[in-house]
Amino acid sequence: MTHPNQATLALHAGGDLRLWARWNTERHLSNCDLCRDEVAAFAGVREILPELAEIPEVPWNRLAAEIRANIRLGLAAGECIHAVQAPLRQSPLFTGARAALAFASIVVMVVTGLTLTRPSPVAGKEDPLVQATEDGIQIRAGGQAFRLMNVGAKDVTYSASADGSMGARYVDPETGYVTINNVYVQ
Amino acid sequence: MPAKKLTAVFVFLSVASLLAPGLAAQDAPLSPGSVNFNLPANSPLELKSVTMSDSHTTARGAALMLDLHMSLTLRNGSQNRIHGVTLRVVSQEVTIGGKGWVTYPSLNVGPGEAFPVRIDMQLMRPSQITTGTLVQVDLDGVLFQDLSFFGPDRLNSRRTMTASEMEAQRDRDHFKRVLAQSGKSGLQREILESIVRQSEFSQLVVTVKRAGRAVTSAAVSPEHTAEFAFLQFPDSPVAPVEGWAQLAGNEARAPHINVRNNSGKPVKYVEMGWVVSDQSGRQYMAASVPSAEPTLNLPPGKTARLDQDTSLSFTSKGQPVNVQKMMGFVNQVEFADGRVWVPNRQNLDNAILQKVLPPSAEEQRLTELYRKRGIETLVQELAKF
Repeated sequence: MTHPNQATLALHAGGDLRLWARWNTERHLSNCDLCRDEVAAFAGVREILPELAEIPEVPWNRLAAEIRANIRLGLAAGECIHAVQAPLRQSPLFTGARAALAFASIVVMVVTGLTLTRPSPVAGKEDPLVQATEDGIQIRAGGQAFRLMNVGAKDVTYSASADGSMGARYVDPETGYVTINNVYVQ
Repeated sequence: MPAKKLTAVFVFLSVASLLAPGLAAQDAPLSPGSVNFNLPANSPLELKSVTMSDSHTTARGAALMLDLHMSLTLRNGSQNRIHGVTLRVVSQEVTIGGKGWVTYPSLNVGPGEAFPVRIDMQLMRPSQITTGTLVQVDLDGVLFQDLSFFGPDRLNSRRTMTASEMEAQRDRDHFKRVLAQSGKSGLQREILESIVRQSEFSQLVVTVKRAGRAVTSAAVSPEHTAEFAFLQFPDSPVAPVEGWAQLAGNEARAPHINVRNNSGKPVKYVEMGWVVSDQSGRQYMAASVPSAEPTLNLPPGKTARLDQDTSLSFTSKGQPVNVQKMMGFVNQVEFADGRVWVPNRQNLDNAILQKVLPPSAEEQRLTELYRKRGIETLVQELAKF
């Protein structure tokens, strides 16, 4: 004779078997004392379970109530935040401050790039001097220069003066007049 | 401002900031408004026209080069003949602490006549931003045939142009005398001798610095004090007494020359010529040493010192010229009454000066006239004065 397993007997004791399994199990129990005793034991355990809930050291019911309250509180708080906050996508991509900050960053980047790739000569540290150049005379200091040119002139006579000036004299090939360019450093 | 407009402005500014340096680096023409001409209301000169063709800006690395080529047509609005003009040229853009001016001596412009002049200049500066007026051109002075003067004279152009006019009269008189004594062939010989002298004339390349020692390849030599020798002119109103300068290799620094007024009139300006010799004994005109004080007062019989706290370095054909000896001579004297003394032709007929001293502006003009148009034109030109 084949006996139903323990899980089927426990479910039968609680009345949780489906219709066909219950009819089949009842037909077996009517002819098997051993299984009838097992079902009676499971039914006895079910009867003492409500008493376990009243054990003072483990307040299951109070714990369950608190957990439920906390869940409700969390859901309510979430509702409140959802009602106040506008969706992120509703704010404009370029506000005035953001655009200004971004533009300033680009300007800084461009200026830094220009400075690093094309360093300018250091002006101001060098004492100014006057001198003749290939086609003129000049005052020069650092990256600055002021030149008077003798464009197209031949036979240019240069004259220096110890007071800090220099002259270039020539006959202008276009006008035919003598021209004297002078530069002076103070 | 709506978000879309802000976005558009942002994108435009970003692109502009990225392209701006590249656009500024390109060549650009300069407008006539870049230069401001300032002639006083009562000026004897009138500005008839200005052209600035070929004037432009060029980017060179991070620096900006401004090329200004100005052709001016000026008209003599006075009743006197104009013999000299000085224009002051100031750049607001380049602030080195210097200035420039252009002098046109040896003119002979009658009342109502117009004449062309040119100013060619370059400005270089580290920044590439140009704003407004770049150059200011002012009238500093006009010298007339009778040596009268008009202008603010901020550059002492009255004295400079008067001295140039004295030299011009001296040299024209010399050539007229030769023409009268030896005819056209004699004048031609004299002019040819001048042309040969000018072609043999070798110049030093001089760099002048306000104070301290200039830095050149030969500037490491120890410095020592060297004394001037002097060339005396019998008719000079002022005589050099003693002088010295600091020498180091191809540099000379801080020249000092004591001069005595041997004339009977007070003197307010003295300028010495300064000749140097190198190791091989070759001599060069180095510079002039003017009196430093703007209002020198040298009474008759008294002594004064010409001081200049500058440093000069000398090179020739790219090589430093180490100074071994120095010689000085009186080149120009201005009296308190505004009259100017310059050496005469006999004074200049000296072996050393013939080699080192350049011709006057007028002798340069007359020899150039002969070279281009021949002896007949030269004779006609001398007859105009």
